[in-house]
Amino acid sequence: MIGPSRVAELDVPAAGVETGAARPAQSYWNESWERLRANRVGMAAGLLIVVFALIALLAPLFSLVVTHVQPQTINLDDTFFRPGLRHLLGTDELGRDTLTRLIWGARVSLGVAFLTVAMSLSVGTTVGMVAGYYGGWIDDVLMRFVDMVLAIPAIFLFILMSILFRPNAITLAAIVASVGWGSVARLVRGEVLSVKQRDFILATRSIGAGDARLMVRHLLPNVLPVLIVAASLGVGQIILIEAALDFLGLGIQPPTPSWGNMLTNAQSYFFRSGFLVAFPGITIFITVLASNIFGNAVRDAFDPRLKS
Amino acid sequence: MLAKYIARRFLASVIVVLGVTVITLLLMNSTRGSYVPGIDLNPALRPEDIARLRANLGLDRPFYEWYMSWIWAVLHGDFGRSMIDGSPVMSHILDRLPNTLELTGTAIVIGVLISVPLGVIGALRRGSKTDHVLTVVSVAGFAVPQFWMGLMLILIFSVTLQQHGLPWLPSSGAFSAYAGGDILDRILHLILPATVLSFFYLSVWSRFIRSSMLEVLSQDYIRTARAKGMSERRVVYLHGLRNALIPLITLIGLELPGLVSGGLVVEVVFGWPGIGKLAFERALQYDYSTVMGVTFFATLLVIAGNLLADLLYGVLDPRIRYS
Repeated sequence: MIGPSRVAELDVPAAGVETGAARPAQSYWNESWERLRANRVGMAAGLLIVVFALIALLAPLFSLVVTHVQPQTINLDDTFFRPGLRHLLGTDELGRDTLTRLIWGARVSLGVAFLTVAMSLSVGTTVGMVAGYYGGWIDDVLMRFVDMVLAIPAIFLFILMSILFRPNAITLAAIVASVGWGSVARLVRGEVLSVKQRDFILATRSIGAGDARLMVRHLLPNVLPVLIVAASLGVGQIILIEAALDFLGLGIQPPTPSWGNMLTNAQSYFFRSGFLVAFPGITIFITVLASNIFGNAVRDAFDPRLKS
Repeated sequence: MLAKYIARRFLASVIVVLGVTVITLLLMNSTRGSYVPGIDLNPALRPEDIARLRANLGLDRPFYEWYMSWIWAVLHGDFGRSMIDGSPVMSHILDRLPNTLELTGTAIVIGVLISVPLGVIGALRRGSKTDHVLTVVSVAGFAVPQFWMGLMLILIFSVTLQQHGLPWLPSSGAFSAYAGGDILDRILHLILPATVLSFFYLSVWSRFIRSSMLEVLSQDYIRTARAKGMSERRVVYLHGLRNALIPLITLIGLELPGLVSGGLVVEVVFGWPGIGKLAFERALQYDYSTVMGVTFFATLLVIAGNLLADLLYGVLDPRIRYS
């Protein structure tokens, strides 16, 4: 999900970036934000994700006002409708409106994705920080465990856990996060190892700051840029994983619509309607594409040295 | 130095493999109640019968006992028997392995053959229209769900072509039973799934080769080679490409586990009788001896792939020292 940690001392602006002497000194955060704002394509992609998230939040309203049907409303007189005025994106084998189902499916896909990112980041950051900060046997034990988690082919782990937990949105997020936190932990540990060597940590310790204070107040802010980059690059991949699990029947179960499980059935009706296959996939594709483009923009803005 | 490095890596690997088997078994073990769903509700079975059936499958033994005998057998090369059909797990794996290798091997070869030239073109014409198009294709390749791409290909090349009475491509299986699986038949079945898999590799690797090539071409020795009056072609291919390809070895090494698990979704979509599909189906049936066997096998591949990639890297780039 997340690349290797080659980032150190992020708060030093990269060489060659327009830090002319005439310009007033800017904080790292201000500069990064300016760089991100200057990236038109990246901002447009980010805006699209925000719009999708709003649509997902307002799904009940869309059902009432725009499409006039609920995602589970069955209408056997209207099966396999082609896209048109009556049903903008057509209907499926039970006459359910595809557009309505896609809008409600966005709640699942985006909700699970954001939840997964939040879970992997919090667990991964905690583990990585503790391992990197304390070092020694604590580091060894924690990192060997991370090695194990990352060595099991992820898809097997997902399958086993999905069978075990009969997933709803929250457990599904936990299942996907149970693998994702490993790479975050590695990333954070690497950062902490380099940051804790620096003088300001020694200085803070010498005036009597405890472990907890050092970690939360001084190490965490320095790790934050890496976390922001990891989070924004992770969303797209997680949407793909979640959709694949739904498709395999291991994720969100029908009749709750999700982008992935809408495709499970579509396979049986190839000869009746190709649209049933096309639309959910296109929706996933656009969302993941926008997330990836936005993620890359964030990475370029917050860490100019990683730019290829 | 190298021997010591390998020994240390090997020891760490053993610990990781043992840990992985414990984690997998703990997960499988928690589902043991569900094995043979509904067995407790079957009125034709007396409680003694149920107990006997469970004992036959070894389900009555505590977790650690099961694990110890399992790992002992594995160390002697015996992966046990499937809980569904009683045949040796190893024979299942060996049955499916050639199909999986056929599919992923083809995809990797196609991926390399196409991504290397694309990456080189992108690097040599950096900033040109061609480069931009290649970038867009690769970014799109990252965002396409593999299973959906598979479905779309089936929709276009199997369903729609068939509906119009045109020659169409088979969408399921590794060969047709009636054709007896001759070479042409197998190749026809391979086209669609291999396209989906190689498209993914292609979009990852072509980006990678492009940036690796750009980095190499900015090195001093490239300037030296040009200063000597060497032809541009020789500079690019003999000095540039050869060095730019080194990191690709690592990537392909890391793909080794993908040989087994990477194609799982594609195997399911195309009904390809491979290892991934085997693991998927057997996990749904709670056949945990088979799942343990496949997971163990796949984990070995992950670790072997990592180690192999690191070692090959050192062979190809003598500047790298192991410590």
